[in-house]
Amino acid sequence: MIPASPNIERSILIFATWAVLGFLGLGIFLEGMERDLWILSAAGVAVIVLAFVAHIIVNGIFDTGFTPGETVLGIGAYGLLGLVFVAAAIGGGMTMTDYYSGLMLFGTLAAGFLAYLFTRHGLRGAFSRFHFKPMAEGEGSP
Amino acid sequence: MIWLPLYGLFYAAATLYWARVAAGLNGDYRTFFSAGHSLSPWISALVLAGMSLSGWVVLVGSAWIGREGFGLPVLLQAGIAFALPGVFFFKRIWLLGQHFRLSSITELFRSYWESEFLVAVVAVVATIFAIAFAGMQLSAMSGLVVAMTDGAVGAPVAATLLGVVLAGYVIIGGMRAVGYFGAVQAVLGFAAVVGFAGFAVIETGGFAALNAGLARMAADPAAAGKFIVAGVVQFTAGAGREAAAGHEGTALASFSLALALMGLQASPMALKVVLSTREPRGFAAGQTWVMAGAGGALIALCMACLGTAALIDPARSVGGLLASLSPWFGAWLFIGLLAGVQLMAGLALLVAGEALVRHVYKPWFHGALTSHGSVTVTRVVVAVLALVSVLMQQLTPVTLSMLGSLALPLALQLWTPLLGMTWLRWFTRPAVITGVGFGITGVLLTEPFGIAVLSFLGLDLPWGRAPWTIHSAAWGIAANLAVTLLVSAFTRRRGFGDEAREAQRFIETLLRPGPRVRALRSTAWSVALAWLFLAVGPGLVFGNYAFLGPEKAWLLGMPSLWGWSLVFWVAGLGLVWFLSYKMEMASPLTVRIPAYQPPPKLKPDQSAAERTRLVAFLVTVAVGFSLIVLVALAFGH
Repeated sequence: MIPASPNIERSILIFATWAVLGFLGLGIFLEGMERDLWILSAAGVAVIVLAFVAHIIVNGIFDTGFTPGETVLGIGAYGLLGLVFVAAAIGGGMTMTDYYSGLMLFGTLAAGFLAYLFTRHGLRGAFSRFHFKPMAEGEGSP
Repeated sequence: MIWLPLYGLFYAAATLYWARVAAGLNGDYRTFFSAGHSLSPWISALVLAGMSLSGWVVLVGSAWIGREGFGLPVLLQAGIAFALPGVFFFKRIWLLGQHFRLSSITELFRSYWESEFLVAVVAVVATIFAIAFAGMQLSAMSGLVVAMTDGAVGAPVAATLLGVVLAGYVIIGGMRAVGYFGAVQAVLGFAAVVGFAGFAVIETGGFAALNAGLARMAADPAAAGKFIVAGVVQFTAGAGREAAAGHEGTALASFSLALALMGLQASPMALKVVLSTREPRGFAAGQTWVMAGAGGALIALCMACLGTAALIDPARSVGGLLASLSPWFGAWLFIGLLAGVQLMAGLALLVAGEALVRHVYKPWFHGALTSHGSVTVTRVVVAVLALVSVLMQQLTPVTLSMLGSLALPLALQLWTPLLGMTWLRWFTRPAVITGVGFGITGVLLTEPFGIAVLSFLGLDLPWGRAPWTIHSAAWGIAANLAVTLLVSAFTRRRGFGDEAREAQRFIETLLRPGPRVRALRSTAWSVALAWLFLAVGPGLVFGNYAFLGPEKAWLLGMPSLWGWSLVFWVAGLGLVWFLSYKMEMASPLTVRIPAYQPPPKLKPDQSAAERTRLVAFLVTVAVGFSLIVLVALAFGH
């Protein structure tokens, strides 16, 4: 008997969480923009935040953080969606509800991400997650 | 529309990701068939519930309610009907599998019953599930793709794409991919069921509006029959021969359909998941809270809402909803539904492939085939089965449907060998084999497939499908049990080999009931029989009027039978909990399972015998085919 790796079980839970809550949240968010209902978009953002919370809970259960792949995917998706939002804003076809919805989505995600880093690693630790010293200054230098 | 292809690409990428992960852990082929018995209990629970519920609930159950109403209230008890066989069998089958270090029900049957006939039956049942039962659902999915793309993607292209994705991850990752990705698919499938029901209720105007619409229908004498069970039984000649008064949804039709549903968790697929599980800790929780609880709620509430919305307005059927929703929601729900269907289909393909190659082809015709060779040939067979299924979906949909309807009743016939191995150890080998043979005959004689084949050969049966409004599953199991009991009485204590005796000793020693269980036995029988009578049996006729007030007003604000079903779903959940935990039928067990050490046996060279067997097989097939053609030409029409 080969026990399944805990990482596999964690990945299954993460996949299931995002496949359900992530896509549902995205759908509700888009529906809000389509119907020009800010409150509906806000509900979509809330569901996406819920997916993040579920992700962090799963991480807590398995005593781990976000994997490098998840971080890259998350930041990449954030950047891509941000780019689409900016391009759409420049195009000028957006209503005020669309602006508010987009700003709320990106603002909430950014604030949530920072809050996660600060609470998990502390202010200094959160900074260190992104600041890598050059090799010359490190302990391994001659 | 961009959303469906986008979500479809995401789904395909996810399947390939999990196939790759699984293949890596498999070491290419070493644990291809059973995931190294490493599936976590919670993964198994999700996979078992997902394969039983997700596709069926949306595609079959809701469609039936949308067409016929509440005439078969057993549909709303399906969560309990699916859970009960697991309560009876899973723990004991898992223990036997661990003791003998076997990973499929086919191997267990061969070891315990020493019967190649039962091995062949399992292989045939698994193949029917893989090609026809799953094929019917995949065909429905292809139809939805055509509708959602306004015909831009044709049915053959859709069926091929779905088949390629399905076969791809099964071929690459084997049981591990089916298990790991199956857990994700199950969650997606459940979410889709909730989503469909939610949108159906919203589009109808809310739950109150839904019931108001139903009340208007019930007040119409032409549609009032859709809200009642049409008596206990009607002695008709069966569908296609003689129409029932009102409709065919009698109480015995419900009861026999419940038996058919109970076939699913006795199928080789469900038992494959069980035997690939690491430990038996999750069977009680899985059957009670996931299957009967969450799954039962999905069925009794969500499936019912979806079905009744379509009953009021057919435009709110699954297809109608997908067409009317925003494209992102439509695509998401479609992918969820597809995930549920592919979970069942993938598992069926793998089990059928394994049964045909490892348990039929290798031992009968090619004993020298290596483990690596077995996996390779299984992969080829899985691809062929998927191809056959896709071709039948497009070319012979009626045959596919007739074959598919055989799957559940035939799987139910495996109850007698399973009961003999686990509970009723006085069932003898000749009795079980003869019983299964009679059971299969009973099913074939009351199913459209068997009736059509006999008609083709010139023998027109005087009855149609489901005579006396009783499903073929019940006809089959009645014949099966009667013959098994009778032959067992005449062949007592005969026909057991070393492994069977060891299995009996092992189960008896390990699972000897304690005083509390013995004291509760009569209670368990009483409660179970009462539930069967009232929830899925003749007592259903009480449900017609149980919650009706003066002037037939609905006391619960919903149809009386729906309320009755909800009450007995909760009662059924209690029953499953009671049997699982209090009667210890599926309760957790933490003892170490010792491996059985068989007495050493010489393995003679079988190559000559295999060649002879192959020639005999080919000659039998050729002669059988010729005879069928001759009979059809002489008497058929």
